[in-house]
Amino acid sequence: MAFDVKLKSLGKTARAEPDQPLLDAFLRDGVWLPHNCTQGTCGSCKCRVESGEFDHGNAPLSTLTEEERAQGLLLGCQARAKSDMVIEPITAVEDDVVHHPLRDVAGRIAVLEDIARDTRRLVIELDDDMTFLAGQYAEIKVPGTSAWRQYSMANPPSETRRLEFHLKRTEGGIATDQWLFRRAAVGDRVELKGPLGNFGLFRPQDDPAILIAGGTGLAPMKSIVQHALAEGLIPEIWLYHGGRGAADLYDGEFFEALADRHPNFHYRPCLSEDTWDGRCGMVTDCVLEDFKSCKGMSAYLCGPPAMVQAAGKALKRRRMPPRRTFKEEFTTAEHADAPLAKAG
Amino acid sequence: MDGNTQIPNVPDWIAEITVPELERDPYPIYERLRKEAPVAFIPALGLHVASTKEACREIASDGDNWHGFISPAGGRTFGHPNVLNVNGAEHKELRCMVDPALQPAEVDRYVEDLVRPIARRYVEAIEDKGAADLVETFCEPVSVRSLGDLLGLQSVSSDKLREWFHKLSVSFTNAAVDDKGEWANPEGFTPGDEARAEIREVVDPLLDHWEKHPDDSALSHWLHDGMPEGKTRDRERIYPTLFVFLLGAMQEPGHAMASTIAGLWTRPDQYDRVIDDPALIRRAIGESLRWTSPIWSAVARQNQRDTTVAGTFLPAGSVVMLSYGSANHDVNDYNAPSDFDMDRPPVPHIAFGAGPHACAGTYFASEVCRIGLEELFEVIPNLERDLSHEIDFWGWGFRGPKELHATWEV
Repeated sequence: MAFDVKLKSLGKTARAEPDQPLLDAFLRDGVWLPHNCTQGTCGSCKCRVESGEFDHGNAPLSTLTEEERAQGLLLGCQARAKSDMVIEPITAVEDDVVHHPLRDVAGRIAVLEDIARDTRRLVIELDDDMTFLAGQYAEIKVPGTSAWRQYSMANPPSETRRLEFHLKRTEGGIATDQWLFRRAAVGDRVELKGPLGNFGLFRPQDDPAILIAGGTGLAPMKSIVQHALAEGLIPEIWLYHGGRGAADLYDGEFFEALADRHPNFHYRPCLSEDTWDGRCGMVTDCVLEDFKSCKGMSAYLCGPPAMVQAAGKALKRRRMPPRRTFKEEFTTAEHADAPLAKAG
Repeated sequence: MDGNTQIPNVPDWIAEITVPELERDPYPIYERLRKEAPVAFIPALGLHVASTKEACREIASDGDNWHGFISPAGGRTFGHPNVLNVNGAEHKELRCMVDPALQPAEVDRYVEDLVRPIARRYVEAIEDKGAADLVETFCEPVSVRSLGDLLGLQSVSSDKLREWFHKLSVSFTNAAVDDKGEWANPEGFTPGDEARAEIREVVDPLLDHWEKHPDDSALSHWLHDGMPEGKTRDRERIYPTLFVFLLGAMQEPGHAMASTIAGLWTRPDQYDRVIDDPALIRRAIGESLRWTSPIWSAVARQNQRDTTVAGTFLPAGSVVMLSYGSANHDVNDYNAPSDFDMDRPPVPHIAFGAGPHACAGTYFASEVCRIGLEELFEVIPNLERDLSHEIDFWGWGFRGPKELHATWEV
């Protein structure tokens, strides 16, 4: 039997099956709760239990400590209801953004192409629409397995039937090495669920933005840039894309063309281990060179954790308020049998 | 001195304690007091001190037996009746005068609009300098300006308000007595006397104005609230408590802000997390209040009947200083208490006291600190400790960093 789980201050209720994570139940019922990784690693979906029985599911102790459990906290993405419940998210729920409900969709692979070293573009034609916000991600079920992996949409949210993803091969990874770079073919059926995630461009902003992407961290940026330029949501945008060598960069022509059409958009690819006639050095160092002050600006960062942390530090040095620095790190699939999760 | 007529036998190490030594660093002495003599008579102070959490809480919570009692130096500084040294109905009346503007729900109504512009103004004044003593340029000015404007003292400059609390503080903490129980440094009260005279000179005309033209400032409410139609509260009932405010409430949010920054600088990982996530600022302030309690040892109680606390017999009339700064380092409640660690288990501290005399400004002060630090870290997220300056904590009655030098890339 399913249980009613109520958000104390918002008064909204979701119907949760006994084996369904609470976060999943709310998002499917169109009730937004703060969250990011949905894998129990980021802790952004912590809620305080006001009443009711539940179990913590696979919530790791590193994310939800014994003390927090004793204080009545749970992880929304892991906890399951065992009775009707009343809970309250510990982070404020922003009510000025219309979020799209989480749903299951299926589709067919329309494009599968090599775009950079060990990197493929995957385009899926959906049977039905999946609406989302620029920067969010979907979970793709790895065909023939029970594993799900998270990838950010690279297409703008105006395209709800045709989703683009960028995937980098991980040695031995069941999603990339064993499926997408081996067995997958155009025409194959794929199951997805989405949208998910806190990261992205959710509202118009007055401050100019620096976007910093490492590798396939470019995917959500591609969605954000197209959406922002089409709708006029950011006054000026600098997009930095970092890779080790020229072979790691992709979609350069696409962004060059975009920059030609939009004088308020600047595209700056950087190579950390190669020389070329473009920018050389760590992408964060290039940003530090270009901006003497980042006061009054905002930033969107996506890539490997080390790059995101370095970029966050660099921007702080240039006095960008951390409140205006939005981060998405590639995370590791905590409970999966192969390392690799949200990427691109 | 009142009470303490029977001076108990005092071990040599306690007899040798001096006030300057306590002011420099009270922690080692208090560590031993907590272990060996949780309630002890200190000859240099002419009264007892309670040093453990349990003893402080037991005394502070029992308002029937343990009456609010101003420390002798505090009484000399503020005069009578002030909110710290009256009890029963008289205390209730003074709390009814000061409490309304400080209730959490009321503070929530005005605090953002009051404090945020002030904090923004002071951070704007330093943001392009690249280096500053944060105590002088930010923590103290934000603290005094916020409370000053709430009270209705907009016409008094922040520097003047800072001067007043510094002078009152010198007198208040001039606690040393000689072996006859007489003031060891009577001239130490001169700065406080000067400040009091000047405050009356400045505030009297304002009170004259509010008598005829009441407004929403806290001091105007102090004059009018609860009084029969056409009457205002006698100024002699207002001034002693105003002096309490102009010292403690002006100085301590600044101390707390500075100590929070200094504490975070001892933990670069936690400092980074707080800068990245301002929602953690409240937790950092809470740990700072435990780590270096601003009102370290400034409130006292006097018992109405013979009492034994923590094994020490205290005849009726005994005066005990509650050393909250020591209680908050009690190893029964806190592991490694001298470390700043905002991730430690959240055992409540006693920095704001307990019982009927618990601090009226708990919520207001915490909010001033929160908003101040939010603005500072937002505008200067690259704020770093200036390693060419030591951080010199000072004080036994009140404690905090004397200066706090920071640098940042401009």
